[in-house]
Amino acid sequence: MSERDRRWGDLLRRAMRGDGPAYAAFLTECAPVIRRIVLARLGDAAGDAAGAEDVVQEVLLAIHAKRHTWRQGDPVTPWLYAIARYKTADAGRARRRRGEAPVPVDDLAEVLPEEAPRDAMAARDLGRLLDRIDDRAAGIVRAVGVEGRSAGEVGARLGMSEGAVRVAYHRAMARLKELAEADVTEETKR
Amino acid sequence: MKTEDLIASLASEPAPPPAAPLGRRALAGLGAGLAVTLALFALLLGPREALGTALAQPLTLAKTLLPLALAALATALALRAVRPGARMGAAGRIVWLVPGAALALFVLAFTTTAPGARLALFLGHSIPICLPAIVILSLPITAALIAALRRGAPEHPARAGALAGLAAAGLAASVYSTFCTEDSPLFYSTWYSTGILLAAGLAALIGARALRW
Repeated sequence: MSERDRRWGDLLRRAMRGDGPAYAAFLTECAPVIRRIVLARLGDAAGDAAGAEDVVQEVLLAIHAKRHTWRQGDPVTPWLYAIARYKTADAGRARRRRGEAPVPVDDLAEVLPEEAPRDAMAARDLGRLLDRIDDRAAGIVRAVGVEGRSAGEVGARLGMSEGAVRVAYHRAMARLKELAEADVTEETKR
Repeated sequence: MKTEDLIASLASEPAPPPAAPLGRRALAGLGAGLAVTLALFALLLGPREALGTALAQPLTLAKTLLPLALAALATALALRAVRPGARMGAAGRIVWLVPGAALALFVLAFTTTAPGARLALFLGHSIPICLPAIVILSLPITAALIAALRRGAPEHPARAGALAGLAAAGLAASVYSTFCTEDSPLFYSTWYSTGILLAAGLAALIGARALRW
């Protein structure tokens, strides 16, 4: 096992036991490696540097959400690279699908049933979904996803850090997606 | 937002609560699905007469045991497929022994069967039951297994789904074999394999959607 695998394995093991600084160190050391993978794999599709950095953050969030799939004792790098590859490919597909306009509101398009007739319907469906998650999360989705405000702006208004807003936004989007999928399943059952 | 800020907020979250490992969840899913499959089997088909006597014949026993071996190996492979960066390892090579054995039994039966009797044994009398039964009996297991695997993170969701489907169809074919009276490998090597592949293909389609993350 390489020196890096040993070091990252040690940091990640401590992180899983609740050692925040070790986790921060692990993610901080991963980030440049992930950035290289993203830039190499996404190429021109990454768009500007901010676009690529968004994908890097997607990968970090995925590592966070799926950290239980790492088995203590396994080398960390193959695990990490596989997550980076998957999320980068996913981002590349999403970008090609939505063309050259990486505005956050497009995330919502995936949430809504495709066959829903146009905007009024979509807005009503979204409103209905937002009613079913807690008010603060719904507010963040409206501000970031619909009104297009920055995470910093929203954070300042709510007294949250920019990072916390970003995490809350991602959580809320995942929850909305679940709700929308559950609705679609129910409708197909009917 | 700056990446450092994201890292800081992720690191400030509490450690994940200790959860049941993926493998245990998958086995629980497999068991739950199998219970439904067995209930369906008992309701719709039921075991053949004198099952014990039939299973004393090695070729008949192989009809039940080969799919079971496939199920065990494919379950191990499906679990690896949902762990990022995991290698398929020895199980990924050993699993090819199952189709290899099915083919060998087919060839053996072909050479030991009188030329005039081959076609009748190959076609049998139950293809229209065999194929849908294997696919339908596999579905509860496929569903429960894929639901459990959603906690994982497959780099190739369709492939992970197909492996889950192979595991489910292996179990389903093994259960079905206790109903089926077609004991020649000319029949079962061909049509069981076809049914299992159909079920795995269906599971790949399900996995491509349900196992994305």
